[in-house]
Amino acid sequence: MGQLVINGLALGSIYAIVALGLLLIFNTVQIVNFAQGQLLMLGAFLGITGAVTHELPIGFAWIVTLVAMMALGLVFMAIVYFPLRGKPPFLIILTTVAMGIVLENLALIIWGPLPVSLPSPLTGRPLRFSGVVLSMHQIVIFSTTAFILLAQWLFLTRTRFGIMMQATSQDLQTARLVGIRVNRTIAVAFALGSALAGLGGLLVAPIFLAEPTMGGILGLKAFVVSVIGGFGSLPGAVIAGLSLGLIETFGARYISSDYRDAYAFVIMIIVLCVWPRGLFGEKSSERV
Amino acid sequence: MLLQAKGIVKRFGGVSALDGVDLNVPQGIIQAVIGPNGSGKTTLINSLSGTYVPDEGSIQLNGAELVGARPHKIAQQGLARTFQNIRLFGTLSVLDNVKVAAQRHTPVTLLDVMLKTGAHKLAERETEERARAALDLVGLGTRALDRANALPYAQQRLLEIARAIAAEPLMLLLDEPAAGMTMTEALALLEIIQNLRKRIGITVLLVEHNVRLVMGISDRIAVLDFGRKIAEGTPSEIQKDPAVIAAYLGRRRAHA
Amino acid sequence: MKTKALILGLCACGIAIIPSLLGEGYLIQVLNLAILNAIVVLGLNFVTGFTGQINFGQAAFFGLGAYATGIATLAGAPWLAALFLSGLVAAIASLALGVPTLRLRSYYLAMTTIGFGEIVRLVLIHWEEVTGGTSGLRAIPPISAFGFRVESQMASYYVLVFALALAILFALRIRNSSFGRAMIATRDSEVAAELSGVNTIRVKVLALMIGAIYAGLAGCFFASTIHYISPDSFTNRQAVLLLTMLIIGGTGSIWGAVAGAIGLTMLPEAFRFLDQWYLVLYGSAVIAVISFAPGGLASAIPNVVTRLKAAR
Repeated sequence: MGQLVINGLALGSIYAIVALGLLLIFNTVQIVNFAQGQLLMLGAFLGITGAVTHELPIGFAWIVTLVAMMALGLVFMAIVYFPLRGKPPFLIILTTVAMGIVLENLALIIWGPLPVSLPSPLTGRPLRFSGVVLSMHQIVIFSTTAFILLAQWLFLTRTRFGIMMQATSQDLQTARLVGIRVNRTIAVAFALGSALAGLGGLLVAPIFLAEPTMGGILGLKAFVVSVIGGFGSLPGAVIAGLSLGLIETFGARYISSDYRDAYAFVIMIIVLCVWPRGLFGEKSSERV
Repeated sequence: MLLQAKGIVKRFGGVSALDGVDLNVPQGIIQAVIGPNGSGKTTLINSLSGTYVPDEGSIQLNGAELVGARPHKIAQQGLARTFQNIRLFGTLSVLDNVKVAAQRHTPVTLLDVMLKTGAHKLAERETEERARAALDLVGLGTRALDRANALPYAQQRLLEIARAIAAEPLMLLLDEPAAGMTMTEALALLEIIQNLRKRIGITVLLVEHNVRLVMGISDRIAVLDFGRKIAEGTPSEIQKDPAVIAAYLGRRRAHA
Repeated sequence: MKTKALILGLCACGIAIIPSLLGEGYLIQVLNLAILNAIVVLGLNFVTGFTGQINFGQAAFFGLGAYATGIATLAGAPWLAALFLSGLVAAIASLALGVPTLRLRSYYLAMTTIGFGEIVRLVLIHWEEVTGGTSGLRAIPPISAFGFRVESQMASYYVLVFALALAILFALRIRNSSFGRAMIATRDSEVAAELSGVNTIRVKVLALMIGAIYAGLAGCFFASTIHYISPDSFTNRQAVLLLTMLIIGGTGSIWGAVAGAIGLTMLPEAFRFLDQWYLVLYGSAVIAVISFAPGGLASAIPNVVTRLKAAR
């Protein structure tokens, strides 16, 4: 029982991190990035290329990966967002989907279809407390998540730039009028959103192995988590992420492991039927 | 009274955009609502048409309560409107834009459409007649087959009016219809509005920023300021009202 | 009027002699698949093209239809009953997805339908007793109705062409009716459509449902002309490919949807040497089309034609 809780929370932490990246972009430009999962996959493979293929020290491989992911986020923005500003949202969503296809198949060409493993930055014997095993990698996951949550909170509430980002999300036009450099804010959102996806990939690859098609389902879980948490709400996404991790772990153990990936969607559909604005309330910003 | 609005309150965050506004509009008149920017005019029109749900108050059109109904229900009750920032169906033809509003009078089933039954053909013919009549009323009859977003700006505004009257509403809400028009275009528009009342006897609620424009054609004018109604009367009464001069005209001079 | 009839007649002749040029075999099967995809993409065009809502569930609706027919006819049900069942199953699924999500902002339908596609895939794989699991269903009986049995691929071709013609006809009629206008109005301005008396939620649900029925019926034809179905044909990847066909053909254009589906089903056969690169190209083509010609080929071709005419 205790073991399932630990495993579930570890999985849920990864969902939460990926969802935070998704929301960082969504809250700034109101675009749901349907290629977030593919960015995660790229993060995992860049880590593997660094740490396994080129035998870099794992910590260094992480840094290289995160920097590369930020650069990739900017490229992503230049292709997907800027040419399409002002076009109907469904076209922009479709572009992110197409971008996902491109990334996934490029990865297939570069790295091949076979699953690969990435070592954890922390190796050593797992800790045991009264029958519950806490692996070193789970410690990495929990501490990274705690660090990201704290950093993001400090960034958004305590730094000038973070506050500007929040303002931009509320009203792009007004933000521009009061002299916020909107384009720079958007660029930072894409760079950090992509880096968070990559971080998710680095954390997930030691548990589940990495393969080019892994992104689709993980990206979707990030949406589900965002929807359940009330799209746009950061604390909501974290709580929903942890809950989903627990539900999947317990569901796989006690209901059926075949349908592990289906629980998320069933829950999302139920939540949408009962609480259409998510459990924590969507920040409605419809304008007439 | 065709329209009876009582004690409408609409808050955004902590700010009351409308703070207990009453408005009664009898059948067949042109009623104007004026006020400086930010006085609550747009919030009022959005509350009437169901785009916003007021926090308090009641709105009755011809005896039917509108508060809480979805906008398409309100439209079906007999309220039609235009938008300050034009909202056409840009990729549809001019005629099809108007048909969208006209077609609710002649409902058909999907089966009728797929089998192209007599009922469907009859409905299409009637919808087209209604739509053509509405286009002719605003003088857009010759542009019927053009794409809506290919029209010049002033004609797009006219198309919005045609679309609104094609629904054959009891009451027409015009949200700053002359915004962005030249003086000549605006005067032509006024003539069309007066014509509409003469030809189809429609009741008009006109929300305008430009006071001079409404003085000539309105039967009654209500003045909003800071979400409250500060005066109401005939154009000549309003022109003499000290509260209006102080609040409205005074602030306008301050702007200039 | 006379030239129009002449062109139609020539087209009909061309369509009629294609099978005898290809002969019974692999190519005609690919062509049949292309026609089926065209029906599915025509269905997708209602909800995504006309109404502007993103639907990733089209492949799953297609799959539900195919499995409904496969399971029913293998159990001995008459083909016409299976056809009806396929449409019905897809329609019910679309209502279950559309009713809760279409009153919300546009990306909710997108997410929910992706989830739905994943659930359908998992059920098809794991409910082995009924669906045959990953190996799927084999030896599905052919189309048979009114005393006819359509055994060969060539004969199926003519049935499918007829089905596609009906699908196009109904799509054109719906497009030019109050329903079609309401759909496009909802896409162009939901607020204005609603205030013109259009129940936009109902319109969106209806568009999704009509599209799902197209996909479900096409699924029935798929099962009974290919005779073999497996979960692979109905994944989210397939759903994305269907959307790609629509975008490249032209969102909102009936002929564009047909051309996109047939072209992009046949092309990979011609470009087999590209191997995995072809999906990369697909994706890049979509991005390019959305950025430079949002109306797809259906709008690009008339543009080029007008320009050529102007140049003369």
